[in-house]
Amino acid sequence: MDMLLTEDQLALAETVRNYLAGTHGPEVLRRLDADGNRDPAIWQGLVDMGLTGLLVPEAQGGLGMGLVDAALIAAECGRACLAEPLVDTAFVGVPGLLAQGKTDQLADVAAGRVTLPLSHAINPWVADGAGVAIKSVDPMRNLAASANDNADPHLLNLGALMSAAQLVGLADAMLHLAVEYAKIRTQFGQPIGAFQAIKHQLATCAVAIEFAKPVVWQAAQALQDGRDSAAVHVSHAKVAATDAAILTAETAIQVHGAMGYTYEVDLHFWMKRSWALAGAWGSRAFHLKRVDDAVLGGALPIGPEHTFA
Amino acid sequence: MHLEYTPEQDAFRAEVRAWMEAHVPKEPLVTLECREGYDQHVEWERTLASGNWGMVTWPEAYGGRGLDLIQWLIFEEEYFRAGGPNRANQNGIFLLGPTIMEFGTDEQKKRFLTPMAKGEVIWAQAWSEPGAGSDMAAISSKAVRDGDHYVITGQKTWSSRAAFADWGFGMFRTDPESKRHKGLTFILFDINSPGITRRPIRQLHGDTGFAELFFDEVRVPVENCLAGEGEGWNVAMATAGFERGLMLRSPGRFQATAKRLVDLYRTHEAEASPAAREAVLQAWMSAQAYAYNTYAVAAKIMAGGKIGAEASLNKIFWSELDRSMHRTAMQLLGAHAELKRFDDGSVNQWLEGYIFSLSGPIYAGSNEVQRNITAERMLGLPRVGAG
Repeated sequence: MDMLLTEDQLALAETVRNYLAGTHGPEVLRRLDADGNRDPAIWQGLVDMGLTGLLVPEAQGGLGMGLVDAALIAAECGRACLAEPLVDTAFVGVPGLLAQGKTDQLADVAAGRVTLPLSHAINPWVADGAGVAIKSVDPMRNLAASANDNADPHLLNLGALMSAAQLVGLADAMLHLAVEYAKIRTQFGQPIGAFQAIKHQLATCAVAIEFAKPVVWQAAQALQDGRDSAAVHVSHAKVAATDAAILTAETAIQVHGAMGYTYEVDLHFWMKRSWALAGAWGSRAFHLKRVDDAVLGGALPIGPEHTFA
Repeated sequence: MHLEYTPEQDAFRAEVRAWMEAHVPKEPLVTLECREGYDQHVEWERTLASGNWGMVTWPEAYGGRGLDLIQWLIFEEEYFRAGGPNRANQNGIFLLGPTIMEFGTDEQKKRFLTPMAKGEVIWAQAWSEPGAGSDMAAISSKAVRDGDHYVITGQKTWSSRAAFADWGFGMFRTDPESKRHKGLTFILFDINSPGITRRPIRQLHGDTGFAELFFDEVRVPVENCLAGEGEGWNVAMATAGFERGLMLRSPGRFQATAKRLVDLYRTHEAEASPAAREAVLQAWMSAQAYAYNTYAVAAKIMAGGKIGAEASLNKIFWSELDRSMHRTAMQLLGAHAELKRFDDGSVNQWLEGYIFSLSGPIYAGSNEVQRNITAERMLGLPRVGAG
């Protein structure tokens, strides 16, 4: 029994974090928003880091890593509000294909030549797919209408898990934006971040985020291990990450005051991604219902001796 | 990350379970907050010690089993699964013990840890003073050096367990010229020393758990000082880290409450609101989140890490979780919520638990202070009052 994220896992996530911080900052989001939201150069950078092949087996030219590694990097994609469809293709689509034994596309995915638009009955759209365009509140999302006849439960779990992982990264980023703003915005002769009314709201966000993270990592491992209970852990993760992200989004805009309500301040990109992912791959209500079915339905053993049931 | 227990860990769990099933009292003990209940709980500490379960993580030389933190968590899970009583010596084993382990001399470890693990000496804490609550650096009780002794004069209050306990620990101002965090010394004292008067304080529920302690020129040997003179604040911060961060409230306690809440919900399902149902599910989710996080913190410490500002996050999380679970139970109980005993004569544990849960966001550093610590040390916001 070991809930430790390894130094290698944390180091890889940090590498990705630093890379995205250097190449995918708010100014890039603004450029993408103005000039078209996909950029082959950004995609190629992700490919060159090996991220498109993170979960692709080594035999197909990938790194053969696991869902915990992928979840950690998905969180970094959330933190950077990454526009490119890396998470959908590499962390949801790839393990979805692997679970079905379909490996013919994987080498192309790892090499960055192919993306995997994911159609599922739980979503009324397909992201980065072909079809009639549908507009999202998130200017970085490219949605298309979809027939959505796929009800694969494993794909749903993968999508929900990776949405949850992105949401904790998004929440971290929004908390950071609010903290930085609270340090420089001065009123009544002091930075507003010195007021406890501001501090306490931001600390409450930190609590929600830090206690959502281990739920997400635990769910990733449970899904990786193929546990019978993985679905309820994924749903728990989606609920916890959604709650943390929405709380932090609302708090961050409040801390920014009227500036937060403008298009000029960067915060809105992260808020809108949070709203999108909160509903994608199963709403809060959908996932709470799955927790309900397992916990009150009695299928999942509960109590202190069943921490990792 | 591995979510499977090893065969050795499973065997250990089975050993704890068997012992607990054979020894945990079938009837709940009388509340720890009165003489009769205190004596029952001390007796239980000694029963635990007879099975060598006093504090499993401590070295065998000090009455422990030399086990790691994962085994401690397994022990705690089984303890709460079995409905084990509150630990009369929690101030000792969970707070002072780890502090002595870190800062104590070999002599102090021998002298204090073994009787603590065996339940022979029950410890009270003595942090707060009338003028130093959340603002602990405002401590004014003095300890004046006189040869091989400190002479202590002053007053402590809200001292948990001090109504009945044997020994206490706290911080005293040894440098009369000092201000705030400097010049404080961490001192252990026998509460029955001449010059100490204890005045139990009647708590919200009507019983007495904490007390005021009055010190009138109390002579305490210098060797009862932990770490060096003037090092008190650093020692106290370490103690507070153990208190808030890991040991004081292990997850099993809240997982057990969440399970009881699920059971309570089932008996009230017909008339319960959807909001109550969601609150019950939230209780399970939060208790589980707390458990995962604690396992992660334990793994981090075992890998050589330390508890930092996240101790404050922890304290906020468990105290507010406990209050909200009991609030939900009170709502489900409806007109039965106010009853001290139910129709079948059993104590209304939800009512007692709810009242106790209201102290959680206050003790061990109020949650307002924890939010300040989180905002300032973890998020880097300016200190309160800074321009």
